[in-house]
This record gives sequence, structure tokens and C-alpha cells, in this order.
Amino acid sequence: MQNVSPKKKTSSPPRQGFGLLYNPFEEFKTFQVTKTEIPLDRIVQSTEQVMDQIRLGYEKLLEEEAKELVWMVQYNTIIKAYEVAEKYIREIDYSAEDIEDFCFALENTHRIPYLIPGPAGIYISALCNYAKEEELVLKLSELKTEINLIGFRLPKGKRLKVEGDTGDFTGIGLEGGELEVEGNAKNWTGAGMRSGRILVKKNIGLHTGEWMMGGEIYVGGRVRGLGNIVEGKVYERDKLVYPGKARYPNLYY
Amino acid sequence: MDIYQFISDHLYFNRPDIEIKGEPYNSAILMSLLTGLIKGKELIIGEPGLGKTTSAEFVCSLIYQFPLGVIWGSEVSGHPEQTEEKIIGRPDLGKLNRGEEDVVWTNFSQLPVKIVDEINRLPETKQSMILDGVDRGNWEYLNEMIINDEYCLFATANYQDGGTNTIIAPLVDRFDVIVESRYPGANLSFLIGKAQGKDKILRHRKFEKDLYRILKSKIAYEKKIPKLEEVCNAFGEYIDKTLGVKPLRREDRDQIRMEMDEIEMDLDASAFVRMFLAELSFCDRYGQKRIVENCEEGCHYTGYLCHQIKNCASNRLPTSIKQFAKGLAWFFGDSEIDIEHVKAVMPFTLSHRIQWKDEVLTQKERAKRDDPFQIFLAKEAVKTVSQRYREQSDHLKDALGLGSRIYQGESLEPLDGDHPIYIEIKKDIRHRRIR
Repeated sequence: MQNVSPKKKTSSPPRQGFGLLYNPFEEFKTFQVTKTEIPLDRIVQSTEQVMDQIRLGYEKLLEEEAKELVWMVQYNTIIKAYEVAEKYIREIDYSAEDIEDFCFALENTHRIPYLIPGPAGIYISALCNYAKEEELVLKLSELKTEINLIGFRLPKGKRLKVEGDTGDFTGIGLEGGELEVEGNAKNWTGAGMRSGRILVKKNIGLHTGEWMMGGEIYVGGRVRGLGNIVEGKVYERDKLVYPGKARYPNLYY
Repeated sequence: MDIYQFISDHLYFNRPDIEIKGEPYNSAILMSLLTGLIKGKELIIGEPGLGKTTSAEFVCSLIYQFPLGVIWGSEVSGHPEQTEEKIIGRPDLGKLNRGEEDVVWTNFSQLPVKIVDEINRLPETKQSMILDGVDRGNWEYLNEMIINDEYCLFATANYQDGGTNTIIAPLVDRFDVIVESRYPGANLSFLIGKAQGKDKILRHRKFEKDLYRILKSKIAYEKKIPKLEEVCNAFGEYIDKTLGVKPLRREDRDQIRMEMDEIEMDLDASAFVRMFLAELSFCDRYGQKRIVENCEEGCHYTGYLCHQIKNCASNRLPTSIKQFAKGLAWFFGDSEIDIEHVKAVMPFTLSHRIQWKDEVLTQKERAKRDDPFQIFLAKEAVKTVSQRYREQSDHLKDALGLGSRIYQGESLEPLDGDHPIYIEIKKDIRHRRIR
């Protein structure tokens, strides 16, 4: 008599010592996935490699400059951190999209262990300054943390547009570049800038333009307080607020 | 296959309702043919008068070489007064008068083709009478038993009306497939009305009488079989000569089954079935699906079939899928069962076995469709899982391949993935490691 439901034959011999007589995955024993590579795979792979390098540079910067995860903003610490960032960035062949990816990855991936706003801003600024492209866009509106020091030393010929808000020290030491912030900027914006233009579409904090040596700052909203400005111009809603009618530094008006 | 074509052209007029590998087929004929070939069990549903019983009779007659007159005489009809004596056998009253106990077996229990007409008119209590026979081919009466070496079962059921009962769950699960005998459309229906005498072409009075004589004779059941086959072969030759279609002899059927047994599933088909079964049985919270337990609120696996159904897939389901997919692969002359074979038979093997949650039924009952609701839902489920399989077939096969290597003792970590099957693989591997 034939079975109504004959069991499937198995090629493996009965195994001793186990409850099951056969390996339930036996037929897949020799299975090897033959991966068919599509152009997108190569793009993704190369992007991943670049991101790894960028990430590594950031980690090195933190290792060298933010020991114990503390980073104090001082003139020499900023210069030193920027030099370290430059050292790693010079060796990377990246594009503007990679900087955007890095900004996104700062908060949205576990691969980047810490987001410390100061060093992160210095590193992003260095990435922007050494990028091949002249026009750059940073989408920071999704970030919960406001990044400090964005636009540090932005050179002449570069235009950096930031979507979202920035933290303290935005555009400090600007060297002729154009920095546009679509949201708000905090304190010390444009401090020590030598030339160039900063446009903040919403409001700006205290000490704006502290020790600025030249260039222009345009603010679409309110300027909360001006710093000790040496040279340069500050506009609030198209109205020149420095130089002009005497205003005391950091007086709220 | 000639028999399919012959039935389709001359006996059972209907439209194709499924497409397999680009070819249109009528599911009622195709599934019935496979049921006959693989010794399966089929439930045919449909409106009254749409050829449920007739289609089964034609298929049985041509696959098993029995004249229609004998098949009619062996059919059991479902009605509330049906008894074990009419279905299985009765005491031999002559011998009983002489103080001896013997059983006169019914034609239904003796013939390899079994048709139960309107099975859902049998009350639930009486449905259990045929459970064993349906399952194993064992028919017991008094202290005697006959075992059918070769048998297939066709049961028909009308849609629920005043006179029908529910088919009990254990009996439903024993059916390998369910198909609908559909309305053929106004034009073909009109032709059916004109074409009288279809029944006559598969009849032969002499052979019918011979077969009845053998069935009624007092010789042992095992000795009756070769005698029945002898007459059947003669009837087969007659059909071949007169109609030009060659019914299958016992040797042919055995040969076909042997060839079917040699057809194995390819890796895609196997991985797809495993993925499907995982969705029909998995529960992250309670270990497996159970009809008495409800899904947990906010379960991670909400998007899978396990969240839409109440019950757990039975072990008979994969058996039915494999058997019918084998049959279909053989029918197409393919050397392996591929995913297309599996996808074609799957809705028919699982539609009667799944109990959908009420919210799913409510949500989909108004959907535009061409199939009975249960088969429609099963087809949709196959499409959904098939889509999921396409997206992760390589990863799943990798996971199964790795599972095999771990099972053989290699020290590797199983692959993760967002599907119940990956958890099932891990469970199997964990049990292997514990041992």
C-alpha cells in the first residue's frame, strides 16, 4: 500500500544523538548567494567608504581635542581643533552630499558616538572650507542639537547655506565667504570676522560681531545685542544698526 | 494532458479561471485531476447545479477507468438520516441468520474513487463516521476492516442554506484542496443545455454489470481488486477506441506517482513555503498561534499574516502543498517544483484551513473579486507573502543555508531578519545546540 502522503526523501544519513533524524535545513546546505551587483551598490559602497573616513576624522578630533568629552571654547582651542580637523580632511575625497550625510549621521546613527557641538561645528566648517564645491547646503533643521562654530573661517568664493538654527560662534573668523542661516543664530555670531557676509533670516543673540574687523552681518529678525565691533556693518531688518546711532554693546533694545 | 483537454472540450464546459506559467486553466478540472492522480482529497463547492458532482465523476471515470454507472452506485449522499450501514457496510443478514458474523461492504468503501455528495448536509455527529476512512483509507465495521491501497475522495458542498451544517474542523483539515465549480457564463451554460447525453459516453452497461457482480461477490476484498482492474482495463480500452482518449490503468497511475515522487522542490519553492508556514503559525508572545489566544496589542509582527488569522496551520497543509505542487510540476513536465507551482496550488490548499479574524473579513468582504471569499482571501495572502519573499529571498536562503551549517556543528551565528521565519530558524538552531 502506498502512503497517501509520502514523506520527502532526504539525502542525509540519520544523525545520531539528536531528536530529529535530519537537518531541517539540509537542502540549503550548499546554498551560496551569488550577489548581482547593480550600479547603485557601487555608489552606496563608495559613499559608505567616504563616510567611514569622515567619521574616523571626527573621532580622531574628539580623541585629540575633546579628551573626557569636555571642550572649552577658547581662541587657541578653536585654532588647534581646526588644525587637527584640516589634517584629516585634506586626505579625504568627498563631496557636498557627504557633508550633508555626515550632519544627518551626527544624530541619527550609532556609529558616531558623541555629538559635541563645538568640535562638530569646527569639523563641519573645515569640511565646508575644503569642499570642492563653491556652494554648499547644510540641512541642520532635523538636528535636536544646535551646532556651534558653523562657518568658521569660510573663505572667499564659498557660499554656505544652513537650513535650520545654528548655535554660538556662527561665522566667526569669516574670511570672505557668504554664510546664510535660514533660522536663528545664537551669541557671538560673526565674532572676529574679517570680511564676507553673514545673513541670519530670523533672530540673532548677544555679542553679535564682537571684535569683527570687516564684512557685513544682515539680520532678518531682531538683534538681541551687539558686541564690541571694530570694523564692519550690521543690519537689522534692512536698517543699519552699526555703525550708526550710538548703541551700547549688549544693551538689550 | 489529454484527459484534461478531453474533459474541458467535451464534458465539463467552463471558462479558465487561473493562469499558471502563462497558460489558462480551469481550476476545478485541474485540481480534480491532480486529486485523482495523487490520491488526494478535494472539496468542491459551488451553487447547486453547477457541475460539482459531475466534474468529479468525469475525472474519476477517466483517471480510474470506472464507467459512470458504477461511480454513481458508489456515491454517498449527505443527508441527516444517513447511516454507517449505507456509507461503510452492513451485517450480512443471510450469514447472521446462520449465526455467523460477516460484513457486506458498500461500494463506496470498496472503490478507489469516493464521492460524497453534499457533505455538509451530513450532521456534524455523522461526519465523524467518515473521518478515519477519509484520512487513512481504513473502513471498519463490526470487527472487520478493509484498507484501500489506492483511493481518492471528492466531496461536494453547497453554500450555506437552511439544510446545511458546518463541516467539522478535523474533517475540513483533511481535505487537501478546495475548489469552486463556477458558473460557466451565459453562453456556455446555454450550450450545456443543448448538449444532452454527455453522461452516456462514459457508460457501458456490460462492464458496469461485471463490476457490480465483482463488488457484490463474497470473495475477500484483496482478491476483488485485481478482478475489478481487469474489467476496468477493458472499459479503458473501449473508451480509448470510441472516444480517442486513453484513461489511466493502474500501472500508469503507479508510474505517474513514482515520477512525481522523484520531483523535488527547488530552493526558492522550499524557502517560500517555509516563509508562508512561519506566518501562519508564528506568535512572538505565546510561542505559536492558538485559536484561543489573541494577538498582543502593539506586537512587532502586526504586518504579517499571523496577526490576521485566528488558528495555526496544521501539519497537513505543507503535505498538501507539496503533493499538489509535485502533481502540477509533473503535469507541466518540469523536473523540479518551482515557486510558480507552489503559488498556483497554495490558495486552494489553504483557503479552507485558515480562519481569518472578524476584522479582516469585515474589511475585505466588499472587495471586488472573482473567487469565493475564502479562496479570494487565500490568493491575496499568497500574493502578499510572495511580495515579501521577492524582497528577501536571498537573505532568507542565506539564513537557511547558515542554519544548515550551524545544525551540522559549525560555530556560526544565525542571520537576523524582520520576519517570523528568522525567529523560527533560531528556535530550531537553539534546540539543536541545547541537545
